[in-house]
Amino acid sequence: MSRKKLSEFRAKSLLYDSLGQAYEGWQLDGHGKDWRAVVEGLDGDKRYVVKVDQAEKGRFKKGLVKLNRDKKAVMKDAKELFAAGYRYLLVEIYREHDAADEWYLSIERLRNGKQLSFSKLGGVDVEDHAKDMIVETYNGRQASKIAVPAKSLKALITAFDDNYFGFLEINPLIVKGNQLTLLDAAAEADSEATFFETGWNEADLRQPKSRELTPEELAVQELADKSQASFSLEVINPNGSIFLLLSGGGASVVVADEVFNLGFGEQLANYGEYSGNPNFEETRLYTEQIASLLLKSQAPHKVLIIGGGVANFTDVRTTFKGVIAALQVHEDQLIRQSVKVFVRRGGPHEKEGLAAMKHYLEQVGMAGYIAGPELLLSDIVGLAAKDGGFK
Amino acid sequence: MSKIDIKALRALEPAVLSVGSHPATLQAILDFDFLNGRREPSVKAIVASGRKHERYFFGTREVVIPVYESLKRVPAKQKQAINLFVNLVSGRRVLNTTSELIAKLPKLAGGVIFAERLPERHALALYDQAKQHDTWIAGGASVGLVIPGSLKLGAIGGVEASQFTASNLFTAGQVAVVSSSGGMVNEIIRVVADSGWGVSFALAVGGERFPIVSPRDAMLAAEADPQTKAIAYFGELGGTDEYEIAELLKTKRLTKPIVAYIAGTVAELFETPPQFGHAKAMAGSSKESASAKRQLLNEAGAKVGASFADFVNYIKELELMTIDKNSQDTDQLSHRQKGLISSSLSYDVDGEVQILGRDLLDLAENHSFAFIVMSMLLGKQEVSKETEAFADFVLRLLVDHGPYVSGAMNSIVTARAGRDLVSSLSAGLLTIGPRFGGAINEAAGTWLKGVSQNIKPADLVEDFASRKRYISGIGHRKYRSDFPDPRVKKIIGLTEGLKDRKFTDFARAVEAETLQKKGNLILNVDGAIAAGLLDTLSQTEGYSLEELADLVDTEFFNALFVLSRSVGFMAHFFDQRRIDEGIFRLGDDHVTKL
Repeated sequence: MSRKKLSEFRAKSLLYDSLGQAYEGWQLDGHGKDWRAVVEGLDGDKRYVVKVDQAEKGRFKKGLVKLNRDKKAVMKDAKELFAAGYRYLLVEIYREHDAADEWYLSIERLRNGKQLSFSKLGGVDVEDHAKDMIVETYNGRQASKIAVPAKSLKALITAFDDNYFGFLEINPLIVKGNQLTLLDAAAEADSEATFFETGWNEADLRQPKSRELTPEELAVQELADKSQASFSLEVINPNGSIFLLLSGGGASVVVADEVFNLGFGEQLANYGEYSGNPNFEETRLYTEQIASLLLKSQAPHKVLIIGGGVANFTDVRTTFKGVIAALQVHEDQLIRQSVKVFVRRGGPHEKEGLAAMKHYLEQVGMAGYIAGPELLLSDIVGLAAKDGGFK
Repeated sequence: MSKIDIKALRALEPAVLSVGSHPATLQAILDFDFLNGRREPSVKAIVASGRKHERYFFGTREVVIPVYESLKRVPAKQKQAINLFVNLVSGRRVLNTTSELIAKLPKLAGGVIFAERLPERHALALYDQAKQHDTWIAGGASVGLVIPGSLKLGAIGGVEASQFTASNLFTAGQVAVVSSSGGMVNEIIRVVADSGWGVSFALAVGGERFPIVSPRDAMLAAEADPQTKAIAYFGELGGTDEYEIAELLKTKRLTKPIVAYIAGTVAELFETPPQFGHAKAMAGSSKESASAKRQLLNEAGAKVGASFADFVNYIKELELMTIDKNSQDTDQLSHRQKGLISSSLSYDVDGEVQILGRDLLDLAENHSFAFIVMSMLLGKQEVSKETEAFADFVLRLLVDHGPYVSGAMNSIVTARAGRDLVSSLSAGLLTIGPRFGGAINEAAGTWLKGVSQNIKPADLVEDFASRKRYISGIGHRKYRSDFPDPRVKKIIGLTEGLKDRKFTDFARAVEAETLQKKGNLILNVDGAIAAGLLDTLSQTEGYSLEELADLVDTEFFNALFVLSRSVGFMAHFFDQRRIDEGIFRLGDDHVTKL
C-alpha cells in the first residue's frame, strides 16, 4: 500500500540505465546461495563500498556502511552483517572524492508536479545548509537553476516517472562533466504500480530490519492478499492488555488515538482494521488472529475492543457473525483468562448484529459493554480501560 | 481547479452512469431518489460485462437499468445526457475508464471513484484531465457525495433506507462534512444529524495521498454553498492537505466556522509507525504528523479537537438553527421481492393480453402476420412497411424445399415411426444448425463484418480461402452464373426502393470475386435474405452496426427460416400420415460397410 522504499541497488540500476551510464554495483542476498560467488568474482585489485540495503535510517552512524574495502574485507563484512540479521547488502566500487564536490538532489511527486530540491552543499550536513537549497517545481521544461546537466536531469526524471517513484533523494551526488555519480540514493516507489510495467517488482521493496512478523500478522497479510476487502494487523506490544478488533481505516485510527490520548499507549497490544465488507469467513479468520494474540499475552487483565464507526456498506450482521464464530472457538480460554469484550459499532443491519453479539457475550459472561451509534465512537475505550483497571 | 458547485448540484436533474456494478450501492442510490420524491431513478446506465440489464427496485416497483459492455456501446443520446458518474471498478482499471468518461461525456459535471489502491501517478493524471475538462472527481477511495434531499452518489450515508432516516438525509441541513475517511464521513454525518443541525452536503475525498478533489477544493465548495453555515472536517496524519486549508483560513477565502479532528496522534507511540488504514496515513516528516497539523489549523482559526470527543462537542456547540427531522416511510422498502423473471414483451393487463403495450386483438385485427412476427421478434411496437413486406415474402419463400433436405427428412422418418405432430415437427427443427438452415445468420455476420470493418471483398474471399472455409450465403449445387436462381433475383428486388443497400452491394461484390473462381459460387437465397434484412433494418428501422451485431449474436437472422420451415415440417407430417407407408427402414444396399 502506498509509497514503499525501493532497494538502493534497484533504484541506482534504473537511474544509471536511464542516464546511459554503466552501474558498477552488486546486490548480495544473504538468504540466497550465490552471494559468495558474487564476492569471489570481484576484482582483487579494486576497492569497494559495502552497505546494508534495506531502508535502514542513519546507516553511517550505525556502522552499516563500510568504505574502502578490498575483496577479502568485503567477504568479512558480508559475513558479519548477515550474521547480525541483515539480509540485503549492496557492494559498489569505492570512489575517492572531495567532500566539496558533494551535491544534493531530491525529487518529490506533489500534486502540481515534481518538486526538485538541489544544493551544491550536499553530503551529511545538507540540513545545515537548508537556506541554500534551490527548490523548484518541474514543469517539463528545463529546470533552470539546477546545475545538473539538463540532459542528465531529464534522464533522472524520466526514470522517476516511468518507474512510479514518489520520492528520490541522491546525496551526495557528484557531477563531473556529463558523468553523474550517485554515491547514495534513496527511492520510494508506489507499491500500487506493481500491476503496471516498471523496472522493479515486489522483491525490490525493502523494509527496515525489524522483528520477525508473528504468525498472526503473516496470516492477516495472506488474508488481505486473497480478499477484495482490506485487512491489516500490526503487533505493538505482544504482552499488551488492550486488544483492538476495529473496522474502517479512519475509525480505527480514532479508537487507537483515544487509547494513546488516555495514556494507555503502553498497554496497547495491536493496531489493525478490516473494511470493505468482508464476508463471514474472512471476518472469522481475521478475528481468530486477534484472539490468538490476545491469548498469548501475559498481561494480567486483558480487554478486547470491537470498535468501528457507522459503516456505509459493511454488513454488521454478517461481519459480527464471523467475529462471534471465532470467539466461540476460543471461548473456554477467553473465559478462563477473564477477558471482557467492549463493542461499539453501527451500519447496515446493526440491530441484528449488535443483538447477536450482546446475546452471545452475555451468555458466556464476556460482555463488557455493547453499544451502537448512541455511544460516542471513542468512548468505548474509556469504558474498557475502566473495567480493566488500567492506569 | 475542478470546482464542485453544490448549489448547482442541488438543482441538477441527475443522470448517473455507473462504471462497474455494485448492486447494494446502486439500490441505495435508487432508494434515496425514491424517498426524496424523484420520479425516475438517477442511475441511467451501467457499464459492465456479462449482461444487458440489471434489475432494481424504484420504491416497490421493479425497474431495469441497461448494462453496456463498454462506454462506446452506450447510445449516443444517453451519453449526451449523463452528467454524473460513479466508478466502481478496481484501482488498476480506474485511469483508463475514468479518462474515457471525462473525454466522451460532454455534460459531465463530476463523479466519484470508489476504488482504493489507485497509483499516485494515475490520480495525478486524472487531476490534470479533470482540470482541463472543467469537471470534478472525488476519490480515489471515496465512498461518495451526498446532498440531503437531492443527490446521493455512492455508498455514502448507508445502503439501508433506515440509515437515511437516522442521518436525516431527507432535509438539507447546514453543516458540510468533509472527510478523508469513508467510514468516518458516515459517522460524522450521524453526529451532525443527532446534533440537530443537519448536513448540507457530505463528501468523502478519500484517504489516498493525492485525493483528486482535494480537501481544499471541498472547503471552497462549502464556502461557496449558501446552504452551508459551518464545516466539520476529518483529516489524518500524512500529506500536507491541511496546510492548504490553513492558507485558505489565513487569507480569508474560508470564512465559515470549521471544526476538525486530525486522526493519528497514536503514531507518536512508534519509532517507525505502521501504515495506518489509508494510503496517505503515514507521516513523511514531522510536518505531516497529526499534532503538527492540528496545531497549524488551530492557529489558522479552526477549532480542532485534541480528542474525538472534543471534536464532537465542537460540532454540538455550533450556533445554528435546528432543522426538522424529516422521516419517510422506509418500511415499505423492507419487504420487496424481485420477480422470478422479467419480460418486456407481453403481459396481462386487466385480463387482456398486451404485446409490447398493444392489445392483442387490436393487433390481430389491424396487422398482417408478418408485421406481428417482426414486431415481436425485434421487440419493437412498430415496424416499417418495408420490413413487413420483406418478412412476408421470406416467410412464404422458405416454407419448404422438398422432402430431400435433412430437416424434412427427419420429420418424415419420425412421422412414419408413428410419432405425433409435435415430435415430428421437433425432429425437423432440431436438425437446423450450421449445416442446415443456419446459413442466413452466418451470412449476415459475414456481410456485417465486411461492411463495419470496411473489408475489401477480395480480401474477405482470400481470408476464407486461406482458412479453407466456405462463405455462407455463397454457392449453389444447381444454379450457376449463367443459370441464375430466380428466387435470389426476386429477393434482391424487394429492397430496390431503399436509398442505401450497402449490405446487398457488399454481398454482390463478394459474389463478383467468388465467380472468378468458379461459376456456381453465386449469391444464394440465404446470402440474399441476410443482406436484404440487414439493409432493411439499417435503413427503415434505424439499427446501428452495433445493434445489428447484437442481432447476429442472438441468431436473429435464422428466426424467419425456423418459423417458415415449421410449416413445411408439419405439412410433411400430415402428408406422411395421409400416405401411411409404415415405418421407414434403410435396406442393406443403402448402407455402405466400411
